[in-house]
Amino acid sequence: MSSKVSRRQFLSYSLMGVGGFMVSAAVMPMVRFAIDPVLQAKTDGDFIATSQKVDELTDVPVRVDFTIKDRKDAWYKSDVSNTAWVYKEGDTVIALSPVCKHLGCTVNWEGDNHKNEFFCPCHAGRYEKNGKNVAGTPPLGPLDEFQVQEVDGFVYLGKTVPNTLV
Amino acid sequence: MNWTGKDMDTYLLQKEYIDTLVIPLIKVEPALEKMKMSASAAEFTMLLSSMIETQFKGRMMFAPPFSYTASTGISELKTELLNSFKESPFKHIFFLTTDPAWVSSDDNGQVIWLPSIPLESMDVQLRQTILEDQLRQVLPKFTEKWASA
Repeated sequence: MSSKVSRRQFLSYSLMGVGGFMVSAAVMPMVRFAIDPVLQAKTDGDFIATSQKVDELTDVPVRVDFTIKDRKDAWYKSDVSNTAWVYKEGDTVIALSPVCKHLGCTVNWEGDNHKNEFFCPCHAGRYEKNGKNVAGTPPLGPLDEFQVQEVDGFVYLGKTVPNTLV
Repeated sequence: MNWTGKDMDTYLLQKEYIDTLVIPLIKVEPALEKMKMSASAAEFTMLLSSMIETQFKGRMMFAPPFSYTASTGISELKTELLNSFKESPFKHIFFLTTDPAWVSSDDNGQVIWLPSIPLESMDVQLRQTILEDQLRQVLPKFTEKWASA
C-alpha cells in the first residue's frame, strides 16, 4: 500500500474535491446574505463637517448650517440641510438644536427682541442660552444638544442628544 | 405640519396650537412654451412651502397643493376653497402662490404672493440662501396676521 493511491481512492478524492467546490459556490453567497447586516458599515453616528471655524466662535450663539449628504431613508437617498446654534462657553464648543421642544418649530436667537434668549415664533416659547426652557412658556423641556467635535479647527457636528447643560 | 397621517395625529392632539392652514397654489400651464415656466414656478412654491413648514411646524398645517389651469376662475376657486375650509377649526387660512392673478382677488391679506425664481440651475448653497431670503420676506405677513387676531 504505502504511498500508492488506488484508482478507486483517486476517483473518490477528486469527486469530493469538485463536489465541495460546487457546494460552497452555492452556499457561500447564502451565508454572505445571512450575515450581511453584521458586515454593513454603520452610516449614522458620523460627524459632519461644517464651515464654522472654532476660533471664530464667541459666547454669542451663531447659526451654523450644514448638510447631511446622501441620508438614506429606506431606499430613498437625499441631502438634508440642518441647522445648529453654536457658541463657546469658556473653551468648550456648544451646539444646540434649533428644534423647539413644544411642537417642532425652529427657534431663533434673540428673536422678537428677547435679549439673551432663544425665541420660538410659533407660540412665543423661550429658552435661556444653555437651552433651558423658560417656565411659563409652552415648551416642556430644554433644547437638544448636538455632539461636537473639533477637527482641524472646524466644528464637526454629530447626533442630537438630550441637553446635558441644564 | 404636513398633510400626512403622522403629522395629522399630532395635529389632532394639539389642535389649539396649530391654528393656521396654508394652501400652496400651483398653476399648471399645458402650452408648450409655458410648460417650463410653470414647472419651475411649481418647484419654487413647493420648496418654499417646505421651508416655511420647517420654520413654523408647530403652528401651521400645510394642505396638499391645489392645482389649476389658465381657464380656472381664480376668484371662484378661492371662494370655493374658503367655503370648504370654513368647517375646519383653522383660525387663519393663507394661500401661497407665484401667480399674480391671485393678488387682485385678495381683500384681507390671505394671499401671500412671491415672484417665482428659477432654482433648477443653482447649486444647493445658493438655492438655500435665496429661499431663506424669500422666507424672511414672507414671515412678517404671517406674524402680522397672528398678532392682529
